[in-house]
Amino acid sequence: MTTVKPILLAEDNPRDAELALAAMEEHRIADKVVVCHDGAEVLDYLYCRGVFASRQQGNPVVVFLDLKMPKVDGLEVLKTIKNDVNLKPIPVVMLTSSREECDLAQSYALGANAYVVKPVEFHQFITAVKELGVFWGVINEPPPEGSDRYGRVPASVTRKPC
Amino acid sequence: MESITQERPVTPAPVRSDPVPSNSPASTLKTGWFIEWFSHWSIERRVLAGFGLVFAGIVVISTISYRNTTVLIENSRLDTKSYELVQLLGSVEDALGSAESGHRRYLVTGDESYLTSYQAVVERMPEYLRYLRSLTNEGGQQQDRVATLEQLIARQLEAEAGAITQRKKHGYEGVRHLALSGAAKNEIDGIHRLMTELDTVEQRALQARVAQSAASTKNTIALLGLGAFLQLILLASVYFLIHHDVTERRRVATELQSRGELLQAANKELEAFSYSVSHDLRAPLRHIDGYAALLSKAAGEALNDKARRYLQTISGSAKQMGQLIDDLLVFSRMGRQDMLHTTVNLDQLIKTVLHDLRLDLQERTISWTMHPLPNVSGDPAMLRQVFINLVSNALKFTATRPEAKIEIGVAKQSPSEVEIFVRDNGVGFDMQYVDKLFGVFQRLHRNDEFEGTGIGLANVRRIIHRHGGRTWAEGALDQGASFYFSLPLARSLR
Repeated sequence: MTTVKPILLAEDNPRDAELALAAMEEHRIADKVVVCHDGAEVLDYLYCRGVFASRQQGNPVVVFLDLKMPKVDGLEVLKTIKNDVNLKPIPVVMLTSSREECDLAQSYALGANAYVVKPVEFHQFITAVKELGVFWGVINEPPPEGSDRYGRVPASVTRKPC
Repeated sequence: MESITQERPVTPAPVRSDPVPSNSPASTLKTGWFIEWFSHWSIERRVLAGFGLVFAGIVVISTISYRNTTVLIENSRLDTKSYELVQLLGSVEDALGSAESGHRRYLVTGDESYLTSYQAVVERMPEYLRYLRSLTNEGGQQQDRVATLEQLIARQLEAEAGAITQRKKHGYEGVRHLALSGAAKNEIDGIHRLMTELDTVEQRALQARVAQSAASTKNTIALLGLGAFLQLILLASVYFLIHHDVTERRRVATELQSRGELLQAANKELEAFSYSVSHDLRAPLRHIDGYAALLSKAAGEALNDKARRYLQTISGSAKQMGQLIDDLLVFSRMGRQDMLHTTVNLDQLIKTVLHDLRLDLQERTISWTMHPLPNVSGDPAMLRQVFINLVSNALKFTATRPEAKIEIGVAKQSPSEVEIFVRDNGVGFDMQYVDKLFGVFQRLHRNDEFEGTGIGLANVRRIIHRHGGRTWAEGALDQGASFYFSLPLARSLR
């Protein structure tokens, strides 16, 4: 991989964002993180429009999505991502305070890849965020660009030597 | 929520007909108990009583009408007989008359041709008499009269036959004294009297019967009219009863529905509320704990022990509140969550509970006594929560014991329910506070003795109540505690 793909963190609460960044800092992956403060901003980023019109092309390696956000909430963002052929392969991790069953069920029904409840305890929170960042940002191999709408990659792409 | 609890309970008031107001106090007293008694009847019983009365009315009217009609038919039969009898009496009288005049003419003239008509009458007479008997064969004085008449007629004919024989033997001279007045003058007078009597009596009976038939017909018509009227009233009352009941039921159903909708809305609101609590209340706590940790890290060595302890206290409090929120959310969810009703294998359930609690069991010496438990009917997830809470409690309050003893078993089993206990040899409790054990946020120990939010047992009680069971506890200070709950047995075991 030549370009480092960013981690997209959608978090409306600046304190939560700061705490998350502090957690990632411990593992030196904070510099890869792009923070969006509401759902609309997330969509702007993904579609390279608005303030992100001039950003480098390419999808983030993972999206950490809060459920409750102003303008466009997490579930709506999730729905948009999973209904878009190009965005669908991006792993989406719901990172939320809600433990409610309906949120869990809805998220998975819409195609979320993981669902993590933010622990109240900071040490647990740090561990969770760090592990998530490491797993999705480092360990997990992201889908290649250009996979089709079913998430399958055309033969021409797979055969290309890395 | 408050608006709901303040309203009247949703159970419909029993349907009751309005008591009929009465004018005089005496009749109020008299009909009062009747209305009181009647108002306790269910609508089904009232309708049944109404239809029963209608049916009884139909039976009575039918019986009386049938009897009246039978009388009418019988009367008309007797009438026909009477008319025939009256007519027959005329014929017999004519025949006897012509016999008498025939024999007399022969006596006087000796002309044989007069004898032929006499003979014709004599030959027909037995037939007349048989007919006469058959018309009066139903007993009574008429039959007696006919018997007498028969004798008289026989005597008349006998006397006349005797006279004719005399005439043949001795000629006119032999019967001269008889020729003018006839041979059987006495009998003929008797016959005439008897016949008139028969006729008169029959005519009178006929008239009486006609009068009776007319009265009976009139009665029947009146009865039918009155009966129809009464039945109409009864049926109208029954209709009114049913209509009243149906309207009332419809009203109650509408009310229930609207209340159900209100309740549903309130429940939704409550759900939104707890969702909000779940999401929004947790965030600031996370920040408190997070920034306290960041501060402690950033300040590092610059902090003295006191400052470090303060930061630890801040963190600890935030964690405790987070736990409290989680417990409260579980408690509220247990109250409104839809409940399953399946067969639950408690032995299996306890195994999974102990597996979940295995981290708490490390470095502890525990002697478990597990008696086999029956299958019960209920919600597996909720019952799991019950055992988690009770076993965690037992573990918590035996922490100070070198060897904890925990026992789970059946205290009592009836055909429909089972009483289960969870016993420990922990610090126990004073029985005078037993009522507080199962209340929300009620704790019998200081926080620095034993941790806890005071919701566990409240949750146990709420779940067991939703299953239709009871909860109670026994214990003594420093002598351990026993927690009991009852549950309905699985249907297959009943």
